[in-house]
Amino acid sequence: MKVEELDVIVVGAGLSGLRAALELSQKWKVAVISKVHPVRSHSGAAQGGINASLGNTLEGKEDSAERHAYDTVYGSDYLADQDVVQFMCEEAPKIVIEFESMGTPFSRLGSGLIAQRPFGGAGYPRTCYAADRTGHALLHTLYEQCIRKEVTFFDEFFLVDLIKVDDQITGILSIDMASGELIIFRSGYVILATGGFGRTYKRSTNAIINTGDGVGAAFRAGVPMQDCEFVQFHPTTLYGTNILITEGARGEGGYLFNNKGERFMKNVASKAMELAPRDIVARAIDTEIQEGRGFENAYVHLDLTHLGAEKINERLPGIREICIDFAGVDPINEPIPVQPGQHYSMGGIATKFGGDYCETPLAGLYAVGETASISVHGANRLGGNSLLETSVFGRYIGRKLLEKGLVALPSIDKLERAEEAVYKEIEDLFNRWNNNSGRRPIEIRDEMGITLDTSVGVFRTEGALQEAYDKLAQLQKDFENVQLPTSEREFNFGILRNLELRNMIDIAAVTAYAALWRKESRGAHSRKDYPTRNDEDYLVHSLVYKTEDGLKLETKPVKLGKFEIKERVY
Amino acid sequence: MEEIQKFLVFRKRPNEEARYERYEVPKRKGMTILEALFYIQDHIDSTLAFRYSCRGAICGSCSVTVDKVPQLACKTQVSNVKTAKKPPKLPEFHYGDISDWNKEEEILVEPLPNMEIIKDLIVDMDPFWKFYREVEPYLEREWNDVAPESSQSSEDAKSIENLVYCILCGLCWSCPVNANNKKYLGPTALAKGYRFIADTRTSDEHREKIIEKVWQVNGVPACEKYFVCNRVCPKGVKPGTAIKNIRDKWSKNE
Repeated sequence: MKVEELDVIVVGAGLSGLRAALELSQKWKVAVISKVHPVRSHSGAAQGGINASLGNTLEGKEDSAERHAYDTVYGSDYLADQDVVQFMCEEAPKIVIEFESMGTPFSRLGSGLIAQRPFGGAGYPRTCYAADRTGHALLHTLYEQCIRKEVTFFDEFFLVDLIKVDDQITGILSIDMASGELIIFRSGYVILATGGFGRTYKRSTNAIINTGDGVGAAFRAGVPMQDCEFVQFHPTTLYGTNILITEGARGEGGYLFNNKGERFMKNVASKAMELAPRDIVARAIDTEIQEGRGFENAYVHLDLTHLGAEKINERLPGIREICIDFAGVDPINEPIPVQPGQHYSMGGIATKFGGDYCETPLAGLYAVGETASISVHGANRLGGNSLLETSVFGRYIGRKLLEKGLVALPSIDKLERAEEAVYKEIEDLFNRWNNNSGRRPIEIRDEMGITLDTSVGVFRTEGALQEAYDKLAQLQKDFENVQLPTSEREFNFGILRNLELRNMIDIAAVTAYAALWRKESRGAHSRKDYPTRNDEDYLVHSLVYKTEDGLKLETKPVKLGKFEIKERVY
Repeated sequence: MEEIQKFLVFRKRPNEEARYERYEVPKRKGMTILEALFYIQDHIDSTLAFRYSCRGAICGSCSVTVDKVPQLACKTQVSNVKTAKKPPKLPEFHYGDISDWNKEEEILVEPLPNMEIIKDLIVDMDPFWKFYREVEPYLEREWNDVAPESSQSSEDAKSIENLVYCILCGLCWSCPVNANNKKYLGPTALAKGYRFIADTRTSDEHREKIIEKVWQVNGVPACEKYFVCNRVCPKGVKPGTAIKNIRDKWSKNE
């Protein structure tokens, strides 16, 4: 059994993980563990931009952190914790300026300052961008700085499970994917930055690797999941592949049309129109399609043709490329076929216990970025706030841990006993998979995805949610007896993807469970049977725990106090 | 009746001889090579190994060789493979005996060229990353988070735009120089070097250092101007043109 000892382990090498590691590695022995090479992380697929009230444009002169916080809380349908939102929005200009100093190739205004564009739910043009490949630009910048600062990476190491002694984290069990060997990383601090879990759905903009490995591992270790019923459906994903078509396309002036040639957004958000927040636009599109005003009963049109070739080529070159390569459509000449698809997990590992924003109830375990529900997005995330969250809280947690100082580990025999137990459990699991005669992973994965797509989608009802939950509970049982050859260990993606499924199947069940519990409509959670927001009973976070008797739901108060609660109209 | 697409896929386990396996995959409208590989992994042989992540041509993971053309598996449509115009003047890539390949009917999938094969379609990219790091590809300023940000003209920002979009996929290592010279830094690292040389925000001192690095014997001087890199690049980075620009504008002796 190989063991690596470190001061802190960062799992995940997207923006959150890299930013945390950059901070920590200046003083401590850090390792970044990632199942893909860092530049392959899903942060790189983010397109539209990162929000900060820089006020660089003429129209944005009056913008402020305060206004950014207000828009974020209002957009969250008041479920965001207002103290963390305020912190994030105050940090935003600093973090963007820091990115620039690190070398991010932002698009520029005539003044030479960082360019900003309008985004949904934002009072001013606040979204800083590098054309329509902002995530790529930011991810590469952080990776470059990691090279410069000589951060230690373990690329293609897969997180299997967390290891704890009593109520203290002591490390992780991972697989060295190339050899298939199980490796222990031992540390009193573990930061989970493993991204979202959109692949629980079949129709998702997410990378195929977004399987919630950190979330699944933490949940198994007894850490609750928070607000999992809140799933962001991006209104405009490319019909066919569900690849993301950035909100920036509407920010730059794109229109949405139904099959009657109407800009239907006028019916639901007459002021904001196409730039209403994502939950509202996604519902509008879904309604058009369901009521027969879509195309092929599956999509509507996102029209950019009136923007002209020059603007499209300058501001949205990546979108044009995606449309041509994946749908055979050139947006200069034709509208883009789009439909809503799973995009972002507002929910995640519950944090903010005992003071620190990223701290989980398990001592030494922290979560940051989409993995966590801190919660800055509440019931609906605004576009441009996710890249922001990753880097603000990545930097924050790095600094925070350095402040706290190193932690002492339990005695070596306690450590080894815990490590050996987890190691043995996984070897046994692989043996069982090899000898089982149940269903194959693909059947379970497909059924899970279709169940969430159809019954835990943009619109929800009691009956469909109950059926979905029952079905997912059955799939969890099926998974116990899943069959898969495991004797070959080198780069065995069958094993790795089955471990991903092990994480996703739990998360999927929690999603349906929490959605069933929340009998109201708030942000992205839209219940046809409970169409209004119910602050009296549900202005609370949901926390779902795994217990021996099944799932257990508790609530946690929302941090309010700064902004008055109002009805949400655009 | 569902239509079947036949595949011939390169397989190899560590310390074993390479072989080719035949697979039949039900075709779906818009199916990409990556999806076909997943079909094989999910339904036929779970041990088939290939890299992937975003499936939207932005992460650079899934570079393979399809019908002897290096390309991103996610960006290549199954239905287009036999009809698509191939980039001109590509070198020949040899991985194993394909004398029984039925070129009309079977899509041939092989690894990325000029890298050591670890397993199936997975190659050892360590040398690629080593050479990337070698050119010191970063801005060497002190981090600063106090407003205002340093200014850069829109024209200067745009002048490096095609270079910053490199996704580090390694397809440009199809270059014949990479085949023959294992010490060649390769088009990726040189283009990345040029991205920082050409960035107006780079300090003179660091620019000099990068210029020094890219002009080493196995850097710019080793490029033989095949421009294969430009032709296989999926993102329009044009590494060959970047190398030419280094030669023309940033000669070491200046």
